[in-house]
Amino acid sequence: MTYFIIFLTSLFILGGLAVASNPSPYYGVVGLVVASIVGCGWLVSLGLSFLSLVLFMVYLGGMLVVFVYSVSLAADPYPEAWGDWGVVGYGVGFALVLTVGMLVGGVLGDWVWGVVTVDGGGVFSVRLDFSGVAMFYSWGVGMFLVGGWGLLLALFVVLELVRGLSRGAIRAV
Amino acid sequence: MAITHLSFYSAFTLSSLGLAFHRTHLVSALLCLESMMLSMYMALSIWPAENQAASSTLMPILMLTFSACEASTGLATLVASTRTHGSDHLHTLNMLQC
Repeated sequence: MTYFIIFLTSLFILGGLAVASNPSPYYGVVGLVVASIVGCGWLVSLGLSFLSLVLFMVYLGGMLVVFVYSVSLAADPYPEAWGDWGVVGYGVGFALVLTVGMLVGGVLGDWVWGVVTVDGGGVFSVRLDFSGVAMFYSWGVGMFLVGGWGLLLALFVVLELVRGLSRGAIRAV
Repeated sequence: MAITHLSFYSAFTLSSLGLAFHRTHLVSALLCLESMMLSMYMALSIWPAENQAASSTLMPILMLTFSACEASTGLATLVASTRTHGSDHLHTLNMLQC
């Protein structure tokens, strides 16, 4: 099980590398989708099923879908692909910077290969993540209301940003 | 360093490098920001599992809420600049050029 989780962590790093060195936003979104699916699998493997489902529905099903159709607004008629030498150069360069940084920082020598799952303290009838997020409505109700108010505010911010034609400040058409 | 910690640390570093070196499109910079948010979500989710602290599991949910606000604002800025300049290429944002 630990080896499966380590495999998922390496796929997560590769997804991050794919987003960073994307030849075109289409392929960057593919890297992000792969990274979030692998992240969901990683959370499920640790036993955090509620947080994995929240990531899947809100992040992948909400935010990434919006990003995908916004990427179609920024369409290139002839995008670069993964095999182009400029893209490979960027990918290798980012991986090299990361490796050198890890070497200099001293984290590449001593690796701890253990994984702690959600049952590490014993099996409970109410899981760790369910009981924790449920506190959002009881003890954390202040932050819950702040988060809801922030989302409502973001709605009006978006409305004002995309106003155009002499009623707004950013768009000219 | 634990191998799982190294994973989201590397993903965060790679995404911030991609944000710093974004090349043609504004939307690739926004995608790198989203990838940074994803790695932070993973970090905030795994930390309560390792320390068996249940009440800290509401922190990734809260972070996702504010990340959604930030993503929507970034996409609104992208739409506004695309409608003004015709594309989201970064060389069109040149008002500060001397």
